[in-house]
Amino acid sequence: MRKLFIILSIIFAVLGIIFTILPMGNIALFPVGIAVLFSVLAVIYSKNNNKKVPKLILIASSVLFLSVIGKEVFIKDKVAYDQQFNEKKQESKQEAQKELEGLDELQ
Amino acid sequence: MKNIFIIFFISVFFAPVSGQIKPGETLVFAASYEISGLMTNIAQVTMQTENISTSKNTFLHLSLQAETFAKWDSFFKVRDLYESYVNPANLKPSMYKRNVLEGNYTKTEKYIFNPDGKTVNSTSRRYNRAEVKKTFNKSIESMDVVTLGYKLRSVDFSKLKPGQSVSYTIVFDEKEYPVSLKLMGKEVVSAGNLGKKECYKLSISAKTNKLKGKDNNLIWLSTDKKIPCKIKFSIPVGVGQLTLSKATGI
Repeated sequence: MRKLFIILSIIFAVLGIIFTILPMGNIALFPVGIAVLFSVLAVIYSKNNNKKVPKLILIASSVLFLSVIGKEVFIKDKVAYDQQFNEKKQESKQEAQKELEGLDELQ
Repeated sequence: MKNIFIIFFISVFFAPVSGQIKPGETLVFAASYEISGLMTNIAQVTMQTENISTSKNTFLHLSLQAETFAKWDSFFKVRDLYESYVNPANLKPSMYKRNVLEGNYTKTEKYIFNPDGKTVNSTSRRYNRAEVKKTFNKSIESMDVVTLGYKLRSVDFSKLKPGQSVSYTIVFDEKEYPVSLKLMGKEVVSAGNLGKKECYKLSISAKTNKLKGKDNNLIWLSTDKKIPCKIKFSIPVGVGQLTLSKATGI
């Protein structure tokens, strides 16, 4: 059982790292939270002299958990400056102005 | 994504003549989508107004743009632009334009509202396919969704009782859609830099398969200026919401 919990906690911690790097936002809390849970269980199921590995995983996944929360709280979402889109907006407006001039003629 | 904006438009729009829409107004919303049960911020939606002058007339340019946040651009980039050119006095639309880029999907549309008020000349193109031109009929009172969004501000919801609704027709995707808004009551919601605002809570329904569930599509409009403060939507591919983060020039 201990081994199973250790393996599962490692798998979910790795998934958590991937989700944290990718722009998955707070979805990363799922694998990281599960990693924390399994590492806690691994610590509980480990004998006193054999808790080093599960403790390390627990610390790593807890740090990951806090970093996901920190990322969500402190890093603001931003829209990238998109020159192509800005040019498109400007062109659209200029084109519309010409069309509206044409409509004026019809009225 | 398209469905989100249909709902956004539907939700933000309606009613009689208005003199309240000023040029220079900007509303910024954060759009979030439910992924694995959690609301995740995916895009920014900006509504702006400005005056555009021709040699004979001045038009009010109403625009709405949606852009995914930078971190999502490499996965699913959205750059949508919806524009309407209206008479500033009565908000009667003369032209509506839509330019959509959603992942690999692109669509451009242009509607010219003919002065007879009964027909629209449309030009549209999907992906890189050939341009399609047609003229379709519309009812006198129907209008594009952007215009409708701003007209909503002149609706006097205080005269409605909870459960009562107002009906309109919008033109979208070269079709007309009947839309109704049912007053659910009043609630206080957070409205970005405007702080907490008392809002009318309205349920949106439309005769389209793009909206899911009963009273699952909701909009909160501030009771003072009818500014959309929050919108919740439920569509076949999921649920999400728009929340007002910044309002200037109102």
